[in-house]
Amino acid sequence: MTGDSLILNPTAPGGSAPRHGRKALDGLKGKAVGFIDNAKPNFHHLVDDLAELLVSRHGVASVVKHRKRSASIPAPQAVYADVKEKCDLVITGSGD
Amino acid sequence: MGLAGLTICSTAFETLGRAQARALGCPDLPLAIIPHPFGLRTREEVRKIASECVEDIARLAREAGTAAGALLSGSGGARADRARRLEAPGDHDGFNRYCRERRWSDGLPLVPPTPERVAAMLRHTRRAPESVVAAIAPAYGAATAEGIAINAVMAGCEPQYLPVLITAVEALSDPEFNLQGIQATTNPVATWIIVNGPIVRALDVNGGLNCLGQGTWANATIGRAVRLLLQNIGGALPGEMDRATQGQPGKYTFCCAENEEANPWEPLHVERGYARERSTVTVVGAAGTLNMNTHAKDADDLLRVIADTLAHPTSNDYYFGGEPWVILSPEHAQVLKLAGLTKADVKRRLWEASRMAASRLAAKDYARVQHTRGAELGAMTAATLVPGAPTADGIGIIVAGGPGTHSVYVPTFGQTRAVTKPVDRD
Repeated sequence: MTGDSLILNPTAPGGSAPRHGRKALDGLKGKAVGFIDNAKPNFHHLVDDLAELLVSRHGVASVVKHRKRSASIPAPQAVYADVKEKCDLVITGSGD
Repeated sequence: MGLAGLTICSTAFETLGRAQARALGCPDLPLAIIPHPFGLRTREEVRKIASECVEDIARLAREAGTAAGALLSGSGGARADRARRLEAPGDHDGFNRYCRERRWSDGLPLVPPTPERVAAMLRHTRRAPESVVAAIAPAYGAATAEGIAINAVMAGCEPQYLPVLITAVEALSDPEFNLQGIQATTNPVATWIIVNGPIVRALDVNGGLNCLGQGTWANATIGRAVRLLLQNIGGALPGEMDRATQGQPGKYTFCCAENEEANPWEPLHVERGYARERSTVTVVGAAGTLNMNTHAKDADDLLRVIADTLAHPTSNDYYFGGEPWVILSPEHAQVLKLAGLTKADVKRRLWEASRMAASRLAAKDYARVQHTRGAELGAMTAATLVPGAPTADGIGIIVAGGPGTHSVYVPTFGQTRAVTKPVDRD
């Protein structure tokens, strides 16, 4: 029978990213909503439909649409700057 | 103040979405879930899904908006703690059961990373154990010199391999490589490690016979250690943040040297700006390997059949303007050299001859190429010739292997560029 032995943990310490707090909106009426489309098939249709419904059903004031060149690369900094400046809520896409 | 964030996720990607949000410091990021596979839905079905999804968005935005700072910045911070010491079962079976329970393995038995083994490995770098080499996506865990050594021990590496692994981590983490995309994709992409320079001989990295096959300790364990790092520090566990549909055997290990002696041209690291006597590691996001067996002894004939093999309508390189790689066997390289061709000539000839008529693409992929490469290709028609790389120098070439008429096509993830970094000097 062999006892325990000492080893070193091969994983990185978790939770090293700075924690970002929650931000709730008091409804969508009058708000500006930004989309960053992941460029996967059909997502641009979904963005178009959601934009229409957000305005007609929920009173959203304006919608900003951006589309990435492809899903697996980050959006350019200019896109982030634009949604930060103009929007109250940003919606991204993941998966296909 | 601040921007509220929300992600729309198809059902198959919910696990990834939640794990990625946690890793980026936004554990409460609201996810609006839509059915997978979303891309196959008809226009009418998309309308129906949108009608339901918009109510989820309205509810989630009120309930739990998350400040979108981390979502937009893309990377968490990296800290440099020393590794924790743990008590683990001392016997072989018990230790491996302990590792399996924690998902620390690639599926094969591991070597216990005892403090003594790790210290022996750390003697092969001047870097401090707690110094951070890079943060590894998608969890952005901090890969310290010590963390790299621990995983290298577990993979069975000799202590002197450590500098190659440190360099590999630096290269993998370069933004050009796009490790975030590579780690979390459905694509089978594996990280191919190519070693060049004097360290090849010093460590016995194989660039000759069976260099991508079994049997060489350095090739097997260096590639394996990289995979353990990608899982244990990078957090890409299969079925969680690693979303590979099938994956590929190269995800266990994928490492070789270039056969510089048999290369009639300048070796890869010299082509990429390093002195011949410098040692380097190059990383490539390789979607697989395809054998190209031809007895062609005529350079034109040889280039034609290789180019024909490169062009296929299901290729990420063609969708995104990638970087297809070719491993030329020494015999094939010799045929091209004897015809008076330089490596740049070979790249240009392959690039031109491997352009593919857009009509060969599936309709959805045709539309995708139009979107992703519109700026490069202009308005497309069915007759447009689509190249696998934006320019001829985007074709990657090394010479490797032993005698035989087999070269290898290595298609890539497409949204990645190979990165070469120099190995630390002693």
